[in-house]
Amino acid sequence: MKKALIIACCVGIVLLAFSPGCSRKTKYKGKIGVTCMDLTNPFFKLIANVMQEEAAKYGYEVVALSAELDPAKQNNQMSDFVAQGYDAIFLNPVDSKSAGEGVKKAYQAGVPVFTYDVDVSDEGAKNLVVSHIGSDNYQGGELAGESMMKVTGDRGNIAIIGYPEATSAILRVQGFKDYLKKHNSNLKIVTELSGKGNRDDGYAVATDILQAHPEIVGIFAINDPSGLGAYSALVKADKTKQITIIAFDASPAGKQAVFEKKLYDSPQQYPRKMAIGTVEAFIKYLDGEKISKVLYIPCTHYYLDDAAKDPSRVAEQW
Amino acid sequence: MMRKAMSDYGMVFVLLGLCLVFSLLTIKEQVPGNDTAISELMTRIKSDFKPDDVILVAGAARKDSEQFAVQMGAELKKQGFKNARVVVGIPSDLRTVLDEIKGAGAKPAALIAGPDVMKWRVIDHIQSNYPEFSGCRIITPKTWLWPDFLKASNLLAIVDRIVVIAVIAIGMTMVIIAGGIDLSVGSLIALSAVIGTLVMKKLGGLDAPAWVVPIGFMAGIAACGIVGGLGGWIVARFNVAPFITTLAIMMVGRGLAFMITGGFSIYQVPKALPWLGQGRSLEAPNTVILVLVLYAIAHVFMSHTRMGRYIYAVGGNKEAARLSGVPVFFVTVFVYIVSSLAAGLGGCIQASQINTGTPNMGTMYELYVIAAVVVGGTSLSGGSGKMLGTLIGAFIISVIQNGMNLVGIESYTQQVVLGAVILGAVLLDKVRNSGGMAMLLGRKA
Repeated sequence: MKKALIIACCVGIVLLAFSPGCSRKTKYKGKIGVTCMDLTNPFFKLIANVMQEEAAKYGYEVVALSAELDPAKQNNQMSDFVAQGYDAIFLNPVDSKSAGEGVKKAYQAGVPVFTYDVDVSDEGAKNLVVSHIGSDNYQGGELAGESMMKVTGDRGNIAIIGYPEATSAILRVQGFKDYLKKHNSNLKIVTELSGKGNRDDGYAVATDILQAHPEIVGIFAINDPSGLGAYSALVKADKTKQITIIAFDASPAGKQAVFEKKLYDSPQQYPRKMAIGTVEAFIKYLDGEKISKVLYIPCTHYYLDDAAKDPSRVAEQW
Repeated sequence: MMRKAMSDYGMVFVLLGLCLVFSLLTIKEQVPGNDTAISELMTRIKSDFKPDDVILVAGAARKDSEQFAVQMGAELKKQGFKNARVVVGIPSDLRTVLDEIKGAGAKPAALIAGPDVMKWRVIDHIQSNYPEFSGCRIITPKTWLWPDFLKASNLLAIVDRIVVIAVIAIGMTMVIIAGGIDLSVGSLIALSAVIGTLVMKKLGGLDAPAWVVPIGFMAGIAACGIVGGLGGWIVARFNVAPFITTLAIMMVGRGLAFMITGGFSIYQVPKALPWLGQGRSLEAPNTVILVLVLYAIAHVFMSHTRMGRYIYAVGGNKEAARLSGVPVFFVTVFVYIVSSLAAGLGGCIQASQINTGTPNMGTMYELYVIAAVVVGGTSLSGGSGKMLGTLIGAFIISVIQNGMNLVGIESYTQQVVLGAVILGAVLLDKVRNSGGMAMLLGRKA
């Protein structure tokens, strides 16, 4: 029994050492819980970091957790935030339907929920969310479609490397396809496979696509990592001249790739604006001001010209 | 007797120790809900203010201070403060009321607010936004200290998150005691949830009556039973290592779940679905009742039935068991079927908790389940272990996860801590079972 206590105390000391609560500043106001899809993705990590900086200005401490793409895990994290009586939850749902249960729980406990990037679409929970801010992924997909038609001269076969597990990626592909349809494009989408949003799978799936459809002239990848993975496959197959890749995000790696002409376009998202906007919405809420329910940040093209004069590319920032 | 219980369930003390640590770490000011705090505040107000002063009482909607504000307001009215006014809501509601008072040319003499309302910036800005309110006193009730960890709502959250793992760990304990391992349970959660919700969707979806839910559950659980039975049969018949057999089934299960749904989640489910995972009966959450009942049955099964003893025998020494007439083949298939059925039930509970069937549910759960079983004192080499030990193991994992979220440890660090604690717990168990510190120091006891 003594030993059990000793171990428990050791754990406690370790936890205390890691606990951010120890170094509270004088103006400490409270805690905000952030739960997002996946903190190993630099996009979400950046958002979490910016939220941390921004919230600290108002005396709030941000605890950022990763749901590791598991909706049940995210639901648990929401329960814990609620149980601890956090002052707010910033939610980036893994799954826009099932996140509704967590939102309802938070609402019942009086904890305001703000969503970012992906919204909550559950009918019973949608109206309980204080505000949502996100990229206009559908419009970004249209931009990608526009670029694809331009660069290929609207002729030939193309492939899509998607990620059907993520709502944002589904919307991008939808916007892309709708743009082609609306403009009576002659491009033919011969295959649509999942690159799981990462470099390794993007590489593997692009390699297979090149085997099955060696004639394609373009690839639309739903984010930079899978687009850059696909580029490695093109290099290996010596097809960089024949095939143009359009990715998405304009992440630091993507910006550099556009500059090096590996990618033709990477419609840009603004994670920084998203993070700051979310914190601002919370502060406005505390001020008792009216807040707009939904805010979409439009994406913009990111071409070679943009990359050449973009200081954030050199600084390796979003 | 006492000694035996100590060595069998020594992990209880680890669990209690963890609870103590997290309680100490999460002590926080709580809003008073009791009458003494209110009457104390009343005497202060009666001496400081006149009965026709405007007194505002603010509470945050659906939080502890809501009840406080309502009670306080009623008490003020009773004591003759006819201009007392209660605001319960979000910051903008308080602002609206302040604007109203300003518009009417009045001035609040006091604003009574709990600690959660004091965080609203509306209150910080009263001086600058409402200069005519100068002299308005802001009064907060005395708070008391109590750990967030020990709040009833949090204790329920701990049980809530562990139900799925605890249920699956029943089957896993049997498999491990029988000398095997089952890596497929995480995927089977997803398979069961997806098949279950799909059946419900096909049988009427959102508007389907309640009886559709058990049918969906049974379909999901049965599908898992078949897949798991197949795995058990391969292990028993061809003597393939369970590690690799169940690894293959894990991939098949996950792939099937994605194939069936096309990667999307299924949310067109009947309104009765959340009953199992979120509902209550007899004042207790259904999930808690379910776990207690299942563990009681499993405990009796393992310690008081012939089949239970067969499972220990097969795990202890397969050859000896066969020679003494234990139906080894049957026992092996049986434990894998139980494990898969438990995983299927776990999937149903999880689908019910989040009101959706999603193919990426249950990732990594096999490892948490195995960790719970091993932390609970079951030996990975088979032949020994206790059902109730597993329940304690599951709670230890849940308490650590919950406690780390409460204390505010970030995801990256959480994994390190959880891994370290599992290692520590297992080492402790080893040390205790084989003669204390001598072993730690490398000497044979």
